[in-house]
Amino acid sequence: MSTLRRRTDSLEARARAGSVGLDWWLLIGTLMTSVFGIYVMRAATESDVPGDPTFFFSRQLAYTLVGVVCLFFMLRLDLDRLSRHVWTIYAIAVASVGAVLVLGVSARGSTRWIDLGVVRLQPSELAKVALAFVLAVVVAERLRVMEPARLTLMTLGLAMLPAIIVFLQPDLGTSLVYLAITLGILWVAGQPITHFVLIGGIIVTLVVLVLYLLPAIGLNVLQPYQVGRLTSFVNAGSDGTQAGYQLEQSKVAIGSGGAFGKGPSGATQTINDFLPEHHTDFVFAVVAEMFGFLGAGLLIGVYFIIIWRAIVIMRLAATEFERLIAAGIAAMLAFEVFVNIGMNVGIMPITGIPLPFMSYGGSHTVTNLVAVGLLLCIGMRGRAAAAVGAT
Amino acid sequence: MASFAGVAIVLLTILVVRLWFLQVASSTGYQQRAEANRLRTVITEAPRGAITDRQGVPLVTSKEVLNLVAQPQDLTGAQGRKTLVHLSTALGHPPRYFQAKVDKARKTSPFEAVVLKEDTPPDLQAYVEERRAQLPGIELQAAYRRAYPSGTLAAHLLGYTGPIAAESATSYLDQGYLGNEIVGRAGVEAQYERYLRGIAGRQQVEVNAHGDVVGRGVISQSSPRPGQTLRLSIDIKVQRALEAALKDEVIAAGTSTGAAGVALDPTTGAVLAMASYPTFMPSVFELGTPREVQRVLTSPGRPLLDRAIGGEYPAASTFKAITASAALASGLYTTGEKIDSPGSLMLYRTRFQGFKNKAFGTITLPKALEVSSDTFFYTLADRSYRRPGSPLQDWSRRFGLGQPTGIDLTEGESAGLIPDLAYKRQTCDRKADPINCSWRPGDSINMSIGQGNVLVTPLQMAVAYSAIANGGKVVTPTLGNAVVDADGRVLRDLLSVRATRDLGLPTKILNQVKQGLLLAANGNEGTGTPVFGGLPPRFRVAGKTGTAENPSKVDHAWYVGYAPANSPRIAVAVVVERGGQGSNSAAPAVCQTMSAALGFDGGQCGTGAKTN
Repeated sequence: MSTLRRRTDSLEARARAGSVGLDWWLLIGTLMTSVFGIYVMRAATESDVPGDPTFFFSRQLAYTLVGVVCLFFMLRLDLDRLSRHVWTIYAIAVASVGAVLVLGVSARGSTRWIDLGVVRLQPSELAKVALAFVLAVVVAERLRVMEPARLTLMTLGLAMLPAIIVFLQPDLGTSLVYLAITLGILWVAGQPITHFVLIGGIIVTLVVLVLYLLPAIGLNVLQPYQVGRLTSFVNAGSDGTQAGYQLEQSKVAIGSGGAFGKGPSGATQTINDFLPEHHTDFVFAVVAEMFGFLGAGLLIGVYFIIIWRAIVIMRLAATEFERLIAAGIAAMLAFEVFVNIGMNVGIMPITGIPLPFMSYGGSHTVTNLVAVGLLLCIGMRGRAAAAVGAT
Repeated sequence: MASFAGVAIVLLTILVVRLWFLQVASSTGYQQRAEANRLRTVITEAPRGAITDRQGVPLVTSKEVLNLVAQPQDLTGAQGRKTLVHLSTALGHPPRYFQAKVDKARKTSPFEAVVLKEDTPPDLQAYVEERRAQLPGIELQAAYRRAYPSGTLAAHLLGYTGPIAAESATSYLDQGYLGNEIVGRAGVEAQYERYLRGIAGRQQVEVNAHGDVVGRGVISQSSPRPGQTLRLSIDIKVQRALEAALKDEVIAAGTSTGAAGVALDPTTGAVLAMASYPTFMPSVFELGTPREVQRVLTSPGRPLLDRAIGGEYPAASTFKAITASAALASGLYTTGEKIDSPGSLMLYRTRFQGFKNKAFGTITLPKALEVSSDTFFYTLADRSYRRPGSPLQDWSRRFGLGQPTGIDLTEGESAGLIPDLAYKRQTCDRKADPINCSWRPGDSINMSIGQGNVLVTPLQMAVAYSAIANGGKVVTPTLGNAVVDADGRVLRDLLSVRATRDLGLPTKILNQVKQGLLLAANGNEGTGTPVFGGLPPRFRVAGKTGTAENPSKVDHAWYVGYAPANSPRIAVAVVVERGGQGSNSAAPAVCQTMSAALGFDGGQCGTGAKTN
């Protein structure tokens, strides 16, 4: 452990000298997606707020600028020093998520935000990166020291605390993102495959229990709207519920976009407000309606580039804990992209997960850009280390 | 770590495949649904054309009303149910009633308004206006409904309007009708639907999810086109007189179950009046509750049956004019011949009785018509029976009996029945009564006085007597006179295009029959003289009474005649079910009808006496 740290210290000096090993693919892919997201926001929300056609656009623009500043700030981060305060970070993350339960403000039946006057903060979003960092450090430090089963249990335990708090807000989607981050880290850490089989089995059992068995005996763990959202994608066509309508309109928006799209001014499902949540969780359907299979396919392509670069950085990482941070972030981005687009096209349950760099929202926009900054930072450090190793 | 990348590739590929399925493979369906979301057709109803009498007096008009309508596409899900529950409390119907209407409309035409309540009363209008926000998808829409300034007058021939019947929905939709349109369902409303129909204006607008008009707004539009006015050949004065007379006779007869009458212009076939009693209110079928409609449909008096065209009755003595024409035309009787006409006649070892067994001595044909001798016509029937061929049937059919007249009404006309050997073979019971499977002398004898199996409608008799009156032309009775525009200019002539068919009867023969009919109404012993004998010479009537035996034990009363006898301008046939003797019940109604048409004082008509 101490040798590892000494080696990176010397590298950092070199890395500081210039932007050696900056991953341009990842940076440009992320910035392009963010700019495209702002453009789509402008076109999609023009008539959403009467008298203020730029309401969502100007805010998303500001969030993105803040996020990009944070991204570049992350490049200069001293990860080693930060890793020493892992328990402090964990405590702050859990406390801020927990604070929402006490101080939080509600919207649409869910309490996820803390009102800071100027902005509303969603701590559960910011905690995603913190969790990836904390778990990565914890696992890396104990990887060959602790018995694998105990390590898996400990990691899951650490993740469960914030996950359960978030689940109670209730915010099922974000708690699932925590789970994805945790599993990504454990997977790349090389934990035995039996652990994942076991976890998978437990998840399936839980889903069956919560959705079907417990309600049958009169015990409802989830809110009715949550059950509706989770199961509506199974029922073909609109079932008359809010979630069924949402999904139906999303499919109509995407399908009507055709191969080449209807253009920003012809996307009537979006601009005439038939598609609810078109600026947040269902912004992918907007892209598909405006720019067709071509545009939506290209966007998926760019997401693939971002995930691919995250994996490359994972390989390049100079240290085990950096590698695991990258794994957690890669898992987070892949999970968010797949689940969000999956629910837009009707093959995944509606779980309220935003699309990275596209969906409206300050906290998740900043968080995802910070996560990319962290990835870039790890990549630079890894390349610098490789350069030292080569000489 | 390679596995990590593999998972990412697989997941993103799944998304792309799914996307291809939605956007390329099945895009057309989704494009249509996006269009259906965005486009809404706003319908501006056009008034249906009016129906007037021959002078332009309105019989049916269109009146503007406000209907309470629902947009099925805006009434989905929980919000839709909530709106309908709200509305049902306000209107006092169970929510199911509205839900069923909206669900049905959603299936057939989801983007057209469905009418929840016709002709919304003002307090309900105010209620809906004040609560627009709580009632999304509920609107007040201008519409037209039928108004009947003269109430039930001419109900049977006018027919009625109503929503498109389920069984004919496809055919109407193919012609560009909207699912909720009101169409002619019976009478001239149905017959002349294509002229009367007002074509609704359609305006296609772009809307957002909240129903506000957005974007380019109006995308396409067509203006409403009001229906054309239908002018009938009916004369409202004559129609009123006929209906009043029929009602009076039915009430006076006490036992009567109904009556019908037809007045024709004998030269053109134009229907001057046509009525059936009891009657109904046409508006029931457009605006009535299901229970009101049911009451009309199941009423024991059968008010919907148009007895003038669909009622089949034994023609009785009114048929003697046909028998007389047939005998003269086929040489069974020569002008001037006198035939003994006793009270009863022994033929084929059977005694055939005349009416009340009254004997008239040896008389000619005109005299036989005057006194309505049965035995005179039995002799003619016997001659006809011995003659090969079937002159009675042939001539009956030439006069238009035994087949529909072809009046301009889509349905309701009966063919009547002129019996012959084929008919007897078809209907007889070969086991129990094999003899009845042949045409027997008694059949000819019964037929000669319009009894036996002979069945006619009042309209057929009016046409037959018109042929006698006009010199031998069988006309096609016609209700429609012309289609006219708002200023009364004729757009299409409906009357002169109708066919007439020549009987081929020489004037000499017709004159014999006419003379008989004139005597029957005016002679010393004429059966109709008590009613018509007091009319001034220039309005002299020619016609024949009939007293039809029928299964009900009480005879049906008939009178068929025309006037003025020397240059006929009107031919009238009236039957009063179970009205007793024709001269008592039916003849006064004919006289009153003629007085309205020709302008003489109805007070000059006699009320009938106890003779045949």
